[in-house]
Amino acid sequence: MIWFESLILQRTLIGSILAGLLMSIIGVFVVKMKISAIGYCMSHGAFAGAALGVALAINPLLTAFLFASFTAFLIGPFAEKAKLHIDIITGILFPLNMALAFIFIALSPEIGLKADVGSILWGSVLAMTNSDIVYLVSLCSVTIALIFLFWKELFAIMFNRKMAEADGINTKPLVYFIVFLTGVVITLSLKLVGGLLIFALLFNPASTALQFSYSIRKTMVLAPVIGIASCLSGLFFSLIFDLPIGSCIALVSTLVFAFSVIVSPKRRKGGREL
Amino acid sequence: MHEIIKLENVSTTYEGEKRPAIKNINLSIKKNEFVYIVGPNAAGKTTLLETINGLLTPIQGKVQVFGQDVRKDGAKIRSEIGYVPQDFMVDQNEPYTALDVVLMGMYGKIGILKRVEDKHKAKALEVMELLGIKELANRPVGKLSGGQQQKVMIARALAKEPKILLLDEPFSNLDVESKEKIPKLIYQLHEERELTTLVVTHDANQIIQNVNRIVIMNEGKIIAEKTGKKLISSLKEFWWLPHTEAVE
Ligand SMILES: Nc1ncnc2c1ncn2[C@@H]1O[C@H](COP(=O)(O)OP(=O)(O)OP(=O)(O)O)[C@@H](O)[C@H]1O
Ligand SMILES: [Mg+2]
Repeated sequence: MIWFESLILQRTLIGSILAGLLMSIIGVFVVKMKISAIGYCMSHGAFAGAALGVALAINPLLTAFLFASFTAFLIGPFAEKAKLHIDIITGILFPLNMALAFIFIALSPEIGLKADVGSILWGSVLAMTNSDIVYLVSLCSVTIALIFLFWKELFAIMFNRKMAEADGINTKPLVYFIVFLTGVVITLSLKLVGGLLIFALLFNPASTALQFSYSIRKTMVLAPVIGIASCLSGLFFSLIFDLPIGSCIALVSTLVFAFSVIVSPKRRKGGREL
Repeated sequence: MHEIIKLENVSTTYEGEKRPAIKNINLSIKKNEFVYIVGPNAAGKTTLLETINGLLTPIQGKVQVFGQDVRKDGAKIRSEIGYVPQDFMVDQNEPYTALDVVLMGMYGKIGILKRVEDKHKAKALEVMELLGIKELANRPVGKLSGGQQQKVMIARALAKEPKILLLDEPFSNLDVESKEKIPKLIYQLHEERELTTLVVTHDANQIIQNVNRIVIMNEGKIIAEKTGKKLISSLKEFWWLPHTEAVE
């Protein structure tokens, strides 16, 4: 078990905790603001972007973020102007991003040898570098600070954006801010979890936490706990059974969600309210 | 007296629609006026209210509130308007308490980067007590009955101490007793705080005596306005006649 003491494992552990924390916090906003479709498309946009980065042998984080942002731009303001329904945009963008991703992967040099390709597809426990950890730590602090600063407004928008607007909150910059954060968080977690499954980490812990809690504040605490637990147990199963970490995290978080639906007080008569 | 709300030749069209939902509306409302807006379904009453507070942007004309352009200073203007939307129902699993929802109404007015203080909470609870829903404060709002939720939305609009009230069928789900009490309470606040109040209603019995003006809408237009003492009796003449273009 020399492995367990290695620097790589330490980095992976820290990376899993941070990615789980960030993805699930942002996930609560994405779910409650009803912009899951945007998060879904951005995940796959980031995946295609990362693939392009690998193919061009430039930093995949950069291209992933650019693609995710471009996807958000396509869905948000552009879709509004073109008067297209969000379901249609999602339906069009998913295969487009996948097609691009696989073309970029096919174009990558020495595909068999490229660990990077596997990493952006289904994640890798070996992918986290020191700078990735530094980015994640900084992002974590910035995100938590900003959420704290704008909590009141975000709280109202998550309840109902139209009512928040009617009461004098300028909702647009805050919604854009969450979309932007979603892009950054997805990008930085991509290497660890993989582009195909990263949406699970955005969506599942938040949805699970919402099964249990009648308070959005408690949800904001519970979701990251579930997110981190899912990431760590995913990592554990991945190491033990030598399976892709992204798949393990997705499976664990789905099982946790399924369990939460069964035992949720919201689905039980006379259930205890948390 | 000073005009608080002024619409000049305003038309609003919903996105993707060809026909405007309200067209060529001219309306001036003075400070401390109490106005009822009536008219059949789809007359454009809700559209009118949301055009006034700037949630909808008109395709033509000018909307001024407090003498300012709603399009420019929308958020600031809205922080002084208490709005009760029509038929607002919350999903039963929504993780917010009734008190959360009432407090939230004040957030715009409290302002960005400022914290909610105890005095805000006290104010919210005070208004909830007036409406008889104080004991529901910590219940999940989605678990309340339709009428209780309507009272929460009224409390939300009042707690922020607005200068204008826009109420869209605010009493539709209330029981007999509340239908008596709450309009009176609102009128009392209207007088005490010199509010300017617009109420949309379908219920002729709810036209209370003190109303200053009744605006009658049909097919997106204001077809008549009634003021003065005879307003109630004249209203009875064409109440529920949807296509009475020639009432005036
Ligand atoms: N979101 C929307 N998109 C498109 N058209 C709309 C929308 N909301 C309302 N309309 C249309 O605008 C017109 C005015 O509707 P509005 O809701 O203002 O009527 P209303 O007088 O409030 O009716 P009600 O008494 O039923 O509440 C109607 O013809 C309606 O079909
Ligand atoms: Mg209406």
